[in-house]
Amino acid sequence: MKLVAITSCSTGIAHTYMAAEALEVAAKELGYQIKVETQGSIGAENVLTAQEIKEADAVVIAASTTVNKDRFAGKKLREADVNDAILRGKALLESAATAEVYNAKGAAFVEKRAAGKSMGIYVHLMTGVSYMIPFVVAGGISIALAFAFGGINSEGAVASTINGLGGLAMGLMWPALGGYVAFSIADRPGLVPGMVFGMMASQMSAGFLGALAGGFLAGYIALTIKKIKLPKALMGLMPILIIPVFSVLVGGVIFKLFIGIPVGWLNQVMTDWLQSMSNASGVMLGAILGAMMAIDLAGPIGKAAYFFGVASLTNLVQGETSLIMAAVMVSGMVPPLAMALSSTIIGKNRYSNEQRESGKSAWVLGLSFISEGAIPFAVADPIRVLGSCTVGAAISGALSMIFNCGLAVPHGGFFVFMIPGAVSNVFLYILALLVGTAVSGVLITALKKPVEEAVN
Amino acid sequence: MEISEVLLEELIVFDVESRTKDRAIRELAAKLENTGYVTDIDAYLAAVMKREEISSTGLGMGVAIPHGKSGAVAKACVVFGRSRDGIDYQSDDGEPVYLLFLIAAPEAADEHLRILANISRKLIHERVRNELRQAETAREVYQALS
Repeated sequence: MKLVAITSCSTGIAHTYMAAEALEVAAKELGYQIKVETQGSIGAENVLTAQEIKEADAVVIAASTTVNKDRFAGKKLREADVNDAILRGKALLESAATAEVYNAKGAAFVEKRAAGKSMGIYVHLMTGVSYMIPFVVAGGISIALAFAFGGINSEGAVASTINGLGGLAMGLMWPALGGYVAFSIADRPGLVPGMVFGMMASQMSAGFLGALAGGFLAGYIALTIKKIKLPKALMGLMPILIIPVFSVLVGGVIFKLFIGIPVGWLNQVMTDWLQSMSNASGVMLGAILGAMMAIDLAGPIGKAAYFFGVASLTNLVQGETSLIMAAVMVSGMVPPLAMALSSTIIGKNRYSNEQRESGKSAWVLGLSFISEGAIPFAVADPIRVLGSCTVGAAISGALSMIFNCGLAVPHGGFFVFMIPGAVSNVFLYILALLVGTAVSGVLITALKKPVEEAVN
Repeated sequence: MEISEVLLEELIVFDVESRTKDRAIRELAAKLENTGYVTDIDAYLAAVMKREEISSTGLGMGVAIPHGKSGAVAKACVVFGRSRDGIDYQSDDGEPVYLLFLIAAPEAADEHLRILANISRKLIHERVRNELRQAETAREVYQALS
């Protein structure tokens, strides 16, 4: 059984929180899932998302104040005094299953807008992220496994199959992100255009920012088309024909023009710029490449840096290594490792449960040079996350140059460190990685504020 | 931020002498004098009593959390009182109160409110309540609540 609840009391100082804790304890004992939003003097915390309310079997409100119930239209709703929750939490939760369905007039109409505009955008983002995370984890871990079994080229039938599966799962993270952001905005009609634009973003290497833009575009276009009034005979065609076709066509053209073309241009500019930098001092170049690898996490800028690194491998003779490729790889490993460090060790209370879980897999993804591992964090808090990661990655890139580290292969992360001849100055290379990771990890931990979730 | 910033060591009373609700609250409130946290004890007490009129803050489980929000409070804080013999608090369950948390909250939002919220959460757990009833030192009180 899945429940959502709100607790609130007149002064909002003590009982709101006692009741929340009591309900969480009671739910645990009953084997229920619960999320409790507290509306106290600190403001609303642990706020329920539209998605969570939708998935809940019933709603419990334990309050001695008036709580806005607009969000709960159509849900089983059990109301009680805040003291009931504290003293008789179990009985209260059990009674929720048989509660009557709340059905205030007009409530359904305001449901979507209840959370307010700015809050809404955050909810959409988080919905997208929570659907995306499992794809990143499944894909990333599979790819890492393939490296472990078959080396960085995933040699052998088993490794190459696992690698293929991982690549597929990883590739689906983009449509999942775009699709579910749009789904959160416009419900079902948003899903098709959102997934299509997410896929477009992936194909044009627009990165997660591109996929996000696609998701929002899709959601609002679907929402707009949904509102168009058609003759009754045609209304039936709305959900299966008109909305999907027009949202994809109209949105697709807009996306191509306003996202695709600028992204392609940005990628080209960065590539050209790097070419002109070829003669710059090594340290400077390392720092720049490092920063580029982190600033958009596998977006157009990171891609330019990565291919600049790969290109530097082509002129190598057997036994040589590339300083540029080494700087690129080490700095691409920093973002996921730094986020893993912050979310699972030094700054746990700054992340939601879900993020802490994805932080664990980010360790593996980071060690495998899969920068995408940091994306779930970046989507939720782009400026702080990307900023912190960029600083550390630039430091790692520069250090790799200073230490004269070289790399002979284009991928593989930690798995190539131990291969003789793949990395030169491998111990200093690891040091460069550690320093950048520590800097980014500490920085993001310092910048983020603790979130209030019952961390027990 | 630490609990000790809100629950000062000198605001812990291991043996509350009063046996009735009003007296116990006054006994604890007197501790706030000269701390700088509450500028006008009487005004603050009025807020606490007004809150009690709405419903008893003695919820049962031997715990009561009388609290007042008032302009007379400069900075959020809490006085912890423990009674050996129990206080007649007119609780919902009719049982005496052994653990008393007198909370003073300012009108304006204050980051310390979050700590008060966390303390409130802790009190739901029986283990914490038992530890508080047996605590002999401020350290043990902080440990129970952390």
